[in-house]
Amino acid sequence: MKTDRTNRKRIALNLSAVLGRWVLGAVFLYTGLSKALHPVDFLKLVRQYDIVHSFWLLNSIAAALPWFETFCGLLLLAGIAVRGAALTLMLMLVPFTVLVFHRALAVQSALAIPFCMVKFDCGCGTGVVFICRKLLENLLLILLSGWLLAGHGRQFCLRFSPLKPRS
Amino acid sequence: MAYLGRGIHVKDNPIQPMASGRWPAVKWVLLEAALVVVIGALFAFVANRVSPRGLALTRDYFPAGTGRLMSATPLANPPRNATGTNFVALTPAQLLAAELKEKGLQLIDGRQAAQLFHDPRFRQDIIVFVDARDEQRYREGHIPGAYEFDPYRPEKYFAAVLPVCQAAEQIVVYCNGGDCDDSETAAILLRDVGIANQKLMVYVGGITEWATNGLPVEMDGRNSGNLRNSGK
Repeated sequence: MKTDRTNRKRIALNLSAVLGRWVLGAVFLYTGLSKALHPVDFLKLVRQYDIVHSFWLLNSIAAALPWFETFCGLLLLAGIAVRGAALTLMLMLVPFTVLVFHRALAVQSALAIPFCMVKFDCGCGTGVVFICRKLLENLLLILLSGWLLAGHGRQFCLRFSPLKPRS
Repeated sequence: MAYLGRGIHVKDNPIQPMASGRWPAVKWVLLEAALVVVIGALFAFVANRVSPRGLALTRDYFPAGTGRLMSATPLANPPRNATGTNFVALTPAQLLAAELKEKGLQLIDGRQAAQLFHDPRFRQDIIVFVDARDEQRYREGHIPGAYEFDPYRPEKYFAAVLPVCQAAEQIVVYCNGGDCDDSETAAILLRDVGIANQKLMVYVGGITEWATNGLPVEMDGRNSGNLRNSGK
């Protein structure tokens, strides 16, 4: 009886992790493609952050980042190198979230409005958004990446760890 | 007996197998992430190269003075009040207009743009409208008779637009309006290739204001005749 309940719990947890992996993959596939289809718009948005002054570097970021996100999204959906992809996404999400937060603070102080009323197109592929909502979304995506990084979401994977020799 | 790496062995400690298993796992994850980064970067640059909308990595899309940063960017000479003692608080639209003026660009409003559009010289290409948005947005609706000129892909349009601009006496450049800065980028680009500055005017309200004012909008190609009156 107790074993049954434990099994059901484990199955539910596994399925949630798989669902989480698919959601994270789908989010990055969508946002990556929406930026890749309008690279000039994305280039202008990246420039708004005013952190890169070499045009070559600016172009490279705007050209590569959307396709790179698409690639990571595909890996997660297919279940290939899941922890590597999750770690990579986490390493992109954390500094990006800090950047968005800083820019939101600058806009808030320039316009003298409450922080949660600040909205702009942060270059996330979803257009103009209220920044509080965006920060919350990013936090959830970071947590989801962390969950996958911890080794969850192994079911329905083509190759969860392609480098690790099969035992 | 549990193996801890570097030749250290500990006798039957229940914690050790866990510890010995963690580091190799971390190593695999780091290697996997490195592989994802390398293959992902290769994929990304190849996809950008193959994509018809891909960016040219070696082109400066924002030559000196074009484009503007977020509206919080300070002006070099911010406007002051009548007594000259305090800075005047500007709306975003006023701020954009002040920035354009600072760059030496003439601005026109919706009323002036409509007057130029109804001027008979417009039919003779003595007055020219230039749409500084991308192809997709141009085809979705532009000022009737406006020339398409995406400043981020200028090589595609120079052949058609330059001779017309050289012959024209007045050139109205516009984009979406609002915080769109493509009209400014296009005007500076045209100025850089030799179009006289005094001919160039930026219609800040752009197509959004034009349509809101109930003026006609042409869809598809230039002079397609496919007009829709936005009607107020």
